[in-house]
Amino acid sequence: MERQQRFMSEKDEYRFQHQGAVELLVFNFLLILTILTIWLFKNHRFRFLHETGGAMVYGLIMGLILRYATAPTDIESGTVYDCGKLAFSPSTLLINITDQVYEYKYKREISQHNISPHQGNAILEKMTFDPEIFFNVLLPPIIFHAGYSLKKRHFFQNLGSILTYAFLGTAISCIVIGLIMYGFVKAMVYAGQLKNGDFHFTDCLFFGSLMSATDPVTVLAIFHELHVDLDLYTLLFGESVLNDAVAIVLTYSISIYSPKENPNAFDAAAFFQSVGNFLGIFAGSFAMGSAYAVVTALLTKFTKLCEFPMLETGLFFLLSWSAFLSAEAAGLTGIVAVLFCGVTQAHYTYNNLSLDSKMRTKQLFEFMNFLAENVIFCYMGLALFTFQNHIFNALFILGAFLAIFVARACNIYPLSFLLNLGRKQKIPWNFQHMMMFSGLRGAIAFALAIRDTESQPKQMMFTTTLLLVFFTVWVFGGGTTPMLTWLQIRVGVELEEELKEAPTSHQEANSLEKNTTKTESAWLFRMWYGFDHKYLKPILTHSGPPLTTTLPEWCGPISRLLTSPQAYGEQLKEEDVECIVNQDELAMSYQEQAPSPCRPPASLSLAQKASPQTPSKDNIYEGDLGLGGYELKLEQTPGQSQLN
Amino acid sequence: MNSILSNKNKVLLTLLSIKGPSFRFSCLRFTLAVKFLRRRTVCENICLNHSKLLQEGEQRGIGLIVGVILRYGTPATSGHDKSLSCTQEDRAFSTLLVNVSGKFFEYTLKGEISPGKINSVEQNDMLRKVTFDPEVFFNILLPPIIFHAGYSLKKRHFFRNLGSILAYAFLGTAVSCFIIGNLMYGVVKLMKIVGQLSDKFYYTDCLFFGAIISATDPVTVLAIFNELHADVDLYALLFGESVLNDAVAIVLSSSIVAYQPAGLNTHAFDAAAFFKSVGIFLGIFSGSFTMGAVTGVVTALVTKFTKLHCFPLLETALFFLMSWSTFLLAEACGFTGVVAVLFCGITQAHYTYNNLSVESRSRTKQLFEVLHFLAENFIFSYMGLALFTFQKHVFSPVFIIGAFVAIFLGRAAHIYPLSFFLNLGRRHKIGWNFQHMMMFSGLRGAMAFALAIRDTASYARQMMFTTTLLIVFFTVWVIGGGTTPMLSWLNIRVGVDPDQDPPPNNDSFQVLQGDGPDSARGNRTKQESAWLFRLWYSFDHNYLKPILTHSGPPLTTTLPAWCGLLARCLTSPQVYDNQEPLREEDSDFILTEGDLTLTYGGDSTVTANGSSGSHTASTSLEGSRRTKSSSEEVLDRALGMGDQPVSSRGTRLVFPLEDNA
Repeated sequence: MERQQRFMSEKDEYRFQHQGAVELLVFNFLLILTILTIWLFKNHRFRFLHETGGAMVYGLIMGLILRYATAPTDIESGTVYDCGKLAFSPSTLLINITDQVYEYKYKREISQHNISPHQGNAILEKMTFDPEIFFNVLLPPIIFHAGYSLKKRHFFQNLGSILTYAFLGTAISCIVIGLIMYGFVKAMVYAGQLKNGDFHFTDCLFFGSLMSATDPVTVLAIFHELHVDLDLYTLLFGESVLNDAVAIVLTYSISIYSPKENPNAFDAAAFFQSVGNFLGIFAGSFAMGSAYAVVTALLTKFTKLCEFPMLETGLFFLLSWSAFLSAEAAGLTGIVAVLFCGVTQAHYTYNNLSLDSKMRTKQLFEFMNFLAENVIFCYMGLALFTFQNHIFNALFILGAFLAIFVARACNIYPLSFLLNLGRKQKIPWNFQHMMMFSGLRGAIAFALAIRDTESQPKQMMFTTTLLLVFFTVWVFGGGTTPMLTWLQIRVGVELEEELKEAPTSHQEANSLEKNTTKTESAWLFRMWYGFDHKYLKPILTHSGPPLTTTLPEWCGPISRLLTSPQAYGEQLKEEDVECIVNQDELAMSYQEQAPSPCRPPASLSLAQKASPQTPSKDNIYEGDLGLGGYELKLEQTPGQSQLN
Repeated sequence: MNSILSNKNKVLLTLLSIKGPSFRFSCLRFTLAVKFLRRRTVCENICLNHSKLLQEGEQRGIGLIVGVILRYGTPATSGHDKSLSCTQEDRAFSTLLVNVSGKFFEYTLKGEISPGKINSVEQNDMLRKVTFDPEVFFNILLPPIIFHAGYSLKKRHFFRNLGSILAYAFLGTAVSCFIIGNLMYGVVKLMKIVGQLSDKFYYTDCLFFGAIISATDPVTVLAIFNELHADVDLYALLFGESVLNDAVAIVLSSSIVAYQPAGLNTHAFDAAAFFKSVGIFLGIFSGSFTMGAVTGVVTALVTKFTKLHCFPLLETALFFLMSWSTFLLAEACGFTGVVAVLFCGITQAHYTYNNLSVESRSRTKQLFEVLHFLAENFIFSYMGLALFTFQKHVFSPVFIIGAFVAIFLGRAAHIYPLSFFLNLGRRHKIGWNFQHMMMFSGLRGAMAFALAIRDTASYARQMMFTTTLLIVFFTVWVIGGGTTPMLSWLNIRVGVDPDQDPPPNNDSFQVLQGDGPDSARGNRTKQESAWLFRLWYSFDHNYLKPILTHSGPPLTTTLPAWCGLLARCLTSPQVYDNQEPLREEDSDFILTEGDLTLTYGGDSTVTANGSSGSHTASTSLEGSRRTKSSSEEVLDRALGMGDQPVSSRGTRLVFPLEDNA
């Protein structure tokens, strides 16, 4: 008897495990299907559906099947047990059921009105992730990759504008959305759809801040493929990346804003506390991320790690991950830390890595980014049907649609106007329209919304966010190409220009660089550039002028210690700036010829011999370096077919 | 009636007091700790890289240190246990909703605990956090390691020694399992007489121990072989044996667990139950094998018939997802995921790899290499931690000493007789020094540890776990450290480059020059391998390769006439064009882990090859003869910057081409 029971329970456990495997398997198959579909689309040059859109479609279909094709099972499991003697919630419960002791682990707290749906479908329950997975597993690689692949020269040129859009713009958009939504909530209360007092102004602001995280991944992919104007690309990309960071921290500080007495009234102390919190967390995360990256840069500079690409890649990966974990452990925001870690890694560490590691790290993070992004979008499709506490409210959804457009307009047009006063190279009208248009919402907004779905307003927000993401990704994402032609934005710019620019001699490149520095950018950029070039670069990488020349006399020993021997040898100042090539930049990587210390001599000889017949050979050389994401191969296919 | 019910359904709640948030943070802290560990290890590796005999050993050293800190540096928090009795239910659900003074909490089932262990559950909380769920090893950490092993088998040498490897892996593991089991049973009897045994220990437990400890994992030895370029055949034998070994040991141990005789005496021998166990073994093994091979074949077909290779990122993602699906699918069907993933890796390397674009090849290789590296180091770090943080260690000196003796005897009884029998059939004998070396390199590693930690519920299992841990420590430190002296003492050839291996070298030249490839192949096949290999090879070459990849002879020539239509539809157009297939070359592209050390060791050669490579490349360009193959040459060279063998092979490949020109 006893044995039989034991056997039974083993079997039960077995089943649980398998359920986990099946769950993941479903996701795997969805992703495989997505990949194949996307290949089909790319092959036929359909641009209206990005892979994320495809992932959503498949997620939706699977959600539909799961929802309506599976029967609800295990009705009993929703029963609530009362235990009067429990005064608090322990993390582990040991339960003795007919002499079998089971161990239960604390999962979460549930509010009362959510309990009834739990009795429903066990499979749906299984298909619902713990929302913390998004923040701890899926988002970090996406965000790190974004930071790591920022096109740095253009990014720093437009630094001022990007920062303005990201900080001021997000704040404006948050407040505007919050206000509009508050109006709609009031209207709903009048219409009797909502009880008074359920939905506070802070909730509206919360919604505003999470809705402010734009994620135009679809648009950017199309830009990339069509080689749209680089400045526009950089503005959009930089804005969306920093945007996310700002929105996450903003959401957090709004959610902890809790005035003492009346939750609806304005409380100056609590407000300033929130602002202080925002600044503190942001600065802390920034410091944490950059500190880790600086440590990595120093480690890779002063060890000869570049002889072992595997170890180097491992170290790089682990240190970047540590940035995330230590920020989380210190109570800061890991994602923001990881973003700045990525930016700093790209700026300094990347130059110290061996050629092999450069490729490896780039490909590794690209791959992780791809998978994570598609999983999230797939899950979004699934969540529309499998999430069990949806609250669809037509008025609220309508209001949200209206609000995000108005807010986006309030963000882009006035700020562009102000920025144009200061910029030498104006942001033209069509760029502004395009930026206005590409206010897609994506993974971050979703993750922020799903993080907390306990109360009714939060559930309503979650549903609305989901619908907004669907709408913007499909409609705006699909409409990008027509929009580009309609706004007459230059297409196919990058490649030719850069090709012409690239092979010029070093000096020309230098002067060109200085020119652009002077003409295009503000004092902020110039100051930063000078500091970076004179002190940070020489300390953290092998390039730049030797520190002994830039530092004042009295710190001679330190500077001699910190300068790497390579820096004396050659004055390769500008090349390394361009070392990071964002996904498919054929032309840029050519400049990378500057011999990094541990690059195998073989490639050197190849590169030097290459000079007479540059174009053709280079194409081959770089094609296989794998700088190109998949788009690169598009460029190459005609050539290859000729070869065949 | 009423009283019976209430009695029966009494639910006892025993509480451990940790609040939610602090719980999460301690988890994070733990991950951080382990990661710092690993980072330290990476740094240490840098320092050690000139004499890196102790890679894994060092790893464990640091693990131990942290283990000590956690054990004695954290205060025990066991003061808050309460025991309450509440409501009623008579079966265990996966989730439990509890109403605590108006708030509702959700609990998930973690596992069953034997009643005697309730007190030990509530010990130091920090230590509990640091102890992982053992399923993590099987679901997250082992699959990449095993897949990488399968994916990086040096296939030519592997298939040449297929018969011997299979014999060692299957027969050898079975022999070693039984011998260790029997010896340990003797030891247990002895302990019973001496009175050191405080709980039950059955014969099946001994066999189980034999099965888990039969999984050898000579990663340290292999790394050294790789670095020193020890004999390729020895390398292939050891590596192949250890890889298949793991698979056999996993399935064996699970079928021993499944051995449940009917009748009253549950631990007597029962023929029916025994045959059922054997049946389970065969069923699970073949099922996992089929599962892995099938998904590998599906991946090969998908990559062959779509033009996915224009998009390396998609291709890599597909490859990864398909391989992972194998694991999940096998687990979902009740087979062993790790075994499926191993065979999937081998199949992928054999077929799919040839269909991938050049970029995806390097991407997949590097991706799995990184995953493998991280997972392996993680496991070894964790082993060091586990020695101190695991709370139920049972140290029994007699058992441990017995186990040490048993594994050496088991290894000896496995290697020498089997080698003797194999030598009867082999042309190319396995020398005495090879046998000694194989005997010597019976290290135990990640797999034995993972199998042992999977189930530590009973007293016997806890004792096994402790012993396994100590054996792993000992073998990795002592035997791993002694490999180099042992190599020189046994006079094993060192510094053999796989590509300078004379017979195959000759061979591929003949193949390339297209003069009678079949005769050359026939020669070699006859020389070195058994009928098993020959049969497999011709089947593979004639049917499987053409169906699944772009290479090989067109199916229209190999298949009988009546299935002409099918053959035409399955053969890819490329095959007709290049009747000079890349048969041997592609199989060598997959390299084993060692390119780390190879790059370093072969610096001077890189230069030489580099110059000659660029020379050929530029000549081909000057001649404006941009044929496909020459451009591919350049591709290969640029790609293979890190991995010496590829590039050297690449340069060699050019010569016949120029002959043709």
